[in-house]
Amino acid sequence: MDNQIKVFIDQVFLQAKEAGFSEYEIVYQSDISTSVSVREGKVVQYENSDISSISFRGLYGSQMGYSSTEDFSLDQIPFLIEQAKDNCKILELKEKVTVYEGDPEYPEYNGYSEEIADMGYQELADMALKFERKLLDYDPRIIAVDECATCYSCGEFLMMNSKGLSCSSLDNAFASMIYCRVKDGDDVQTYGKSWAFKKRSEFDIDACVKFVGDHALARIGAAPIPSKKTKIVLDKDAARSLLVSFAKSFSAEAMQKGLSRLTGKLGEQIANEKITIIDEGMIGDSYLNIPFDGEGVCSKRTVVVDHGVFVSPLHNRKTALVDGVQSTGNATRSGGSSLGISPMNFYIEKGNTSLNDLLKQLGNGVYITDVAGLHAGINAVSGDFSLMAEGFVVEDGQVGQPINQITIADNFFDILKKIEVLGDDVNYFDLDASHIQSPSLLIPDVAVSGT
Amino acid sequence: MERTSSSIDSGIGIRILEGDKCVYVYSNDLWNEDKLIRMAKEASASLKEVPDGKTVYLRPCIEYFSQRYEISPTSVSKASRIDKLRHASETAMNYSSLISQTSASTADIEKDVWIANSDGLYVSDHRCRTRIMFESIASSGNSKETGYMGPGSGEGFEFFERYDLDATAIETARVATTMLEAKPCPSGKMPVVISNGFGGVIFHEACGHALEATSVGIKASCFTDMQGKQIASSIVNAYDDAKIAKEWGSYEVDDEGTPSTTNLLIKDGILNSYLIDKIGSRRMGMPSTGCARRESYLYAPTSRMSNTFIAPGSSTPNEIISDTENGLFCAKMGGGSVDTATGEFNFSVSEAYIIRNGKVCEPVKGATLVGKGNEVLLNIDRVGNDLALSQGMCGSESGSIPVDVGQPTIRVSEITVGGQMSE
Repeated sequence: MDNQIKVFIDQVFLQAKEAGFSEYEIVYQSDISTSVSVREGKVVQYENSDISSISFRGLYGSQMGYSSTEDFSLDQIPFLIEQAKDNCKILELKEKVTVYEGDPEYPEYNGYSEEIADMGYQELADMALKFERKLLDYDPRIIAVDECATCYSCGEFLMMNSKGLSCSSLDNAFASMIYCRVKDGDDVQTYGKSWAFKKRSEFDIDACVKFVGDHALARIGAAPIPSKKTKIVLDKDAARSLLVSFAKSFSAEAMQKGLSRLTGKLGEQIANEKITIIDEGMIGDSYLNIPFDGEGVCSKRTVVVDHGVFVSPLHNRKTALVDGVQSTGNATRSGGSSLGISPMNFYIEKGNTSLNDLLKQLGNGVYITDVAGLHAGINAVSGDFSLMAEGFVVEDGQVGQPINQITIADNFFDILKKIEVLGDDVNYFDLDASHIQSPSLLIPDVAVSGT
Repeated sequence: MERTSSSIDSGIGIRILEGDKCVYVYSNDLWNEDKLIRMAKEASASLKEVPDGKTVYLRPCIEYFSQRYEISPTSVSKASRIDKLRHASETAMNYSSLISQTSASTADIEKDVWIANSDGLYVSDHRCRTRIMFESIASSGNSKETGYMGPGSGEGFEFFERYDLDATAIETARVATTMLEAKPCPSGKMPVVISNGFGGVIFHEACGHALEATSVGIKASCFTDMQGKQIASSIVNAYDDAKIAKEWGSYEVDDEGTPSTTNLLIKDGILNSYLIDKIGSRRMGMPSTGCARRESYLYAPTSRMSNTFIAPGSSTPNEIISDTENGLFCAKMGGGSVDTATGEFNFSVSEAYIIRNGKVCEPVKGATLVGKGNEVLLNIDRVGNDLALSQGMCGSESGSIPVDVGQPTIRVSEITVGGQMSE
């Protein structure tokens, strides 16, 4: 953070006080990133960015108003202050949200990897070119790599308020993504994947090439199957996608507004007893660790569902106030918008059956490896979903004919009740970097639609 | 009144092209000239050695006004928007005791854009858009269903003032309560009649994205090298028209400084034109169609859609339905997505009914349509005369941008419907 920002923040605090705000807070965020895309052995796109913003919120009367700017010239400050004040005047929230004074202690956290801090254009380009070359050489049926990119990014976050809170974090990572086309006769299929790393040695290009190549080639010959109700194994990636879409149902905000089917279900059995769902800001040495939330509340471990019983929703300080409980440290705050709630590291605890054994137990059915259309094909409130899916026919426990252009349809909350077996195939420290994780799941009676 | 916020974003993006290679650097540290020059120099050095001291003479600035509003949204207090939102919420709540929750909101943006390039081009544009979003939720026991509409316009506050939001409130409440009674949708292949307006999302997903130079230019689209060939049934004509006055997806000049056009994409089923930006133009050897767009300086512009629609045909919607013995009537569509390489798409149906013996019968919920763009276009066998446009946000490589989708009522002779099955 340079001196210009410090002067800006000091001035914001000074003017907020003068304007009659009784409490106030700023969040400073800065992100730099470098990304390189290659195609056919050449760099086709190179991006370099340096972006920062300041968000302000302040308590005026009984309401908290929000505003933000990306322009740090001092003459922008009156805009920040006046807009936030205007917003306070029209809000009608019953609960008085305050800024947080902070926790006595925060966990040890190091999201910044010195080892990759000097990654620059040339290295990223060389890595991407090698990645593309190796995938194209993997099999003659891989006819094109439509996207291959590498990216380094570094982000700084600082939160300061009038109650003396001051917490900050510094993170960096590098990422790679690749997306290829395979062709056999007239049949064209695609597959892609992305990863994030904190050390150079973690990017095992050969392993990534094999993973993507094998998955893409396995899609060749994919075709729809007749519609039926069938038992399925939902692969961990597809199960994760589903959990991402419905994670919001576990937020206290959705529950309090009646926008979740879990409203009024606290303490009840909402899933079968095999299911335990945890939210955890800091898990071991995970790269996905988050030391504090969007209000500066120290990260916690929350058991959300305990052996099927709904134990606790996810709270920020506002929803906690409404329910008369403590915040679970799940506040999010982005830009000039008000507080929200989101999971930190949210996962279904794994079982002890391998994927192979899950498929054996499935016997005859469908193995779903991917679902698409999640932004549209779900009803986040009722839990109903109908999603385009890909996968394989399973016969006598053996993976066979690839399937595409089918949909799977069911209800997320009904699935929580009918899951028969949980896989052991999830690694919470996976390098494909998702804050939400699920093991593979064996589920009976799912509607599959095809021909 | 639960949520309100305000923000100012500003920044600069510098794009350097060498053949079809592209370097893009961006920052919002606008006043730090040294840093911007340094970023630009580093960027160009990645392409080739650039000699110092080249001078570009910019031509006089051409001023565009993509949206000529009557009332600037920023000149109107936030408080003056509340009464109308509140009244509409009450209207929806009063529609039925089953309505348990409503949400009414509005958002507007005013944006100044300057584009200058090393050919001496220098243009400015003033843009303004206003949107209203309304959602009703109906509840009964464990079931909850939603009705949603999000009308928008390339206008200022006058659109908010003029718009009949109570009618929208009632319409969303009607959909939510109707769908509450709906049984799960049957699945399998069947004829589908798709209503006008937002039904056009089928064309947007199934065809529009695959006509963008972003994928055609690198031969990654299912419509690569198909110009002049039949890609849709002969009753299909389709446009991408950025020039419709006051429309949500319209603009006068694109984000590369090229004036916008009315682009006839499909004529009588024949692929007539692609959506081409500057890089696409170099790759494909065809002129730009003025469709380079981006969300903001955070993205380099690329080929995108504006107002994309299937042109009206001759049948009335009633004729199309009464001509369909059995099938599905999709009255309101949700969103969807597509893989442009294979053409595979999916989209959700938010309000659907069974068609039996040429009549619209009981409502069904949870339907998804899946298929391949190149196949479904050939299977359109009726095009209605009731063209309507509808507004949405389209997310892609250059961020989230406002677009219109649209169509008259159409029928697809056969498409896969995914549902939870009734039996």
